[in-house]
Amino acid sequence: MVGVQEVSEALDDSALIGRSRDDPESFAALFDRHADEIHRYAARRLGPELAEDVTGEVFLVAFRRRARYDPAWPDARPWLYGIATRVVAQHRRAERRRNHALAKVSPERPGTFDERSADRVTAEQLQPRLAKALTALSAAERDLLLLVAWADLTYEEAALALGVPVGTVRSRLHRLRAKVRRALGGNDPFAAEEPRHG
Amino acid sequence: MDEEFKEFADGRPAVPPYPPEARFRAREALMREARRGRGLRLPRFGWQAVAAFGMTVTLVGGVAVALSGQNGQSPVAGSSVTRAAAQFFPELRPRPGQFILIESDTMYASFQAGEDGEESRHLYRTHRKIYRSVDGSADGLLYIEGRPPEPWPGRELPAVAHDWKGSGWNRLASCPGRMGDQRDDYAYLSGLDAAALRALIRRDAPPGKADAAQQAFDAAAELVRESYLPRAQREALFQEIKAIPGVTEADGVADSAGRRGVALGLPASDGTLRQLIFDRGTYSLLGERATVVDARAAEAPEGSLLAHTAQLNVTVVDRLPEVDSPDGDDSCEGPAESASPAPTETAAPAEDAPTEDVPTETAAPAEDFPAAEPTPIPSESRPEVPAEDFPVDESASPTPAGPMPTPTG
Repeated sequence: MVGVQEVSEALDDSALIGRSRDDPESFAALFDRHADEIHRYAARRLGPELAEDVTGEVFLVAFRRRARYDPAWPDARPWLYGIATRVVAQHRRAERRRNHALAKVSPERPGTFDERSADRVTAEQLQPRLAKALTALSAAERDLLLLVAWADLTYEEAALALGVPVGTVRSRLHRLRAKVRRALGGNDPFAAEEPRHG
Repeated sequence: MDEEFKEFADGRPAVPPYPPEARFRAREALMREARRGRGLRLPRFGWQAVAAFGMTVTLVGGVAVALSGQNGQSPVAGSSVTRAAAQFFPELRPRPGQFILIESDTMYASFQAGEDGEESRHLYRTHRKIYRSVDGSADGLLYIEGRPPEPWPGRELPAVAHDWKGSGWNRLASCPGRMGDQRDDYAYLSGLDAAALRALIRRDAPPGKADAAQQAFDAAAELVRESYLPRAQREALFQEIKAIPGVTEADGVADSAGRRGVALGLPASDGTLRQLIFDRGTYSLLGERATVVDARAAEAPEGSLLAHTAQLNVTVVDRLPEVDSPDGDDSCEGPAESASPAPTETAAPAEDAPTEDVPTETAAPAEDFPAAEPTPIPSESRPEVPAEDFPVDESASPTPAGPMPTPTG
């Protein structure tokens, strides 16, 4: 068996995952490479406490799915972020169920982050302006936006992560940009630019 | 990265580092799993959980919204009311290569958080002209002109409401060859029957959830707003929206130009009833309206209007107007898609488009168009979702089935 340390430096993610099919323990090198980054993303989405659980789950799921990894992608980050997105969503769903139960006791304003505690974590950490803009988005739109803005994925990588064609991502981003522009600018459809005429 | 997203990127929250103990535990769990090959019981995830939270919040996409007629405080009315809808919305015969031009007046809610975190609200108004390629083969253009803002009902007009004045042009990237089944151009949509349109508006809806209705309603609104479709598709979409659970129909609802039509409305989580107002005879969208039905949620008096629009004109033009350096739209940029046919990049419209709007009534019979331009959906491979890893969530129930209208035409 090849030691994790020897494996980790030389191979790209794809080769590493390929090797882990025969040598499962070498998968740990993938954890060593990307765990901090996935944890950061999870912490931004769900807060530090949940992020610990989420990160562990992401790599366990990834390990079990390693045989289906598309070797055409040398970088495993989009794949890991895709798994992370679904794990985050699962937690969000659990949070929301609990919230709906709580809401009967203490109704909260609909249509705001207050309704969803997991997302509220995100909101609390953000500037009010950005948090407000996020409220204008659906959860799926937030997933896409934050994969691009926080995980720095390209459109193609975001498509891979979300399991949709890149054309779909482009189309969604097209609409998302308009939404975000409106939400951020409110009365300024031209983003940050100064008025063109009069 | 787009300017809109960059602001989020720059604003990403600082988070504490992965605690070493937690990191060690996670790695050990992974190693145990690796040694064992299998074993640890994990929570099971629904793949579609990602989409299951499509709850619509507040103001959606600039748009949207609508409201019921019984409140009667529509600010409008005028001589234009007497014009028949057919005058506003004649049956058109757009051909590939042409552009559909739609002019509209809009009023939507603006929420802004200032430096101090203090939120201000008002209603912003615009006049819009949108040019979209008939077959999605070329970029479009959008002109937006600011109109005097209105105060949020029950509040004073904030100073920030006056920050934006003037007008400007935006290029609308078309991304030909890359849209796949996300296409929303005339050529593509005019080839869809009622069942396909229904699948289209419901495809992103989380099954069996209350949010599913809102998602479908919003998706349908996206298709009819600033859009022109053949009558068969207009009527089919009308019927599909009407079939969405919770949607109510109301007659005599006025758009912001004072024209009355039949409204299909759905209460939204922002405390408003959102209505899409259609001409009864042609199923053309007249406008939208959002009326407060829950004062607490909306933070505005019940019955007040938070959105009101009117689509004023729909015409077909041969080419785009000449515009000096419109604001860009780089949403088609990025690495080429490997799995699908090479994208066709089109020239930016501004530089080589000759002169003014040239409204042209074309002579081709409407029926010819869909047949002449089948516009196949590019097939793109979707990653396989192994059922054993991401089983369907047990709590999810099938999308409610509604009556299926028969397309006419």
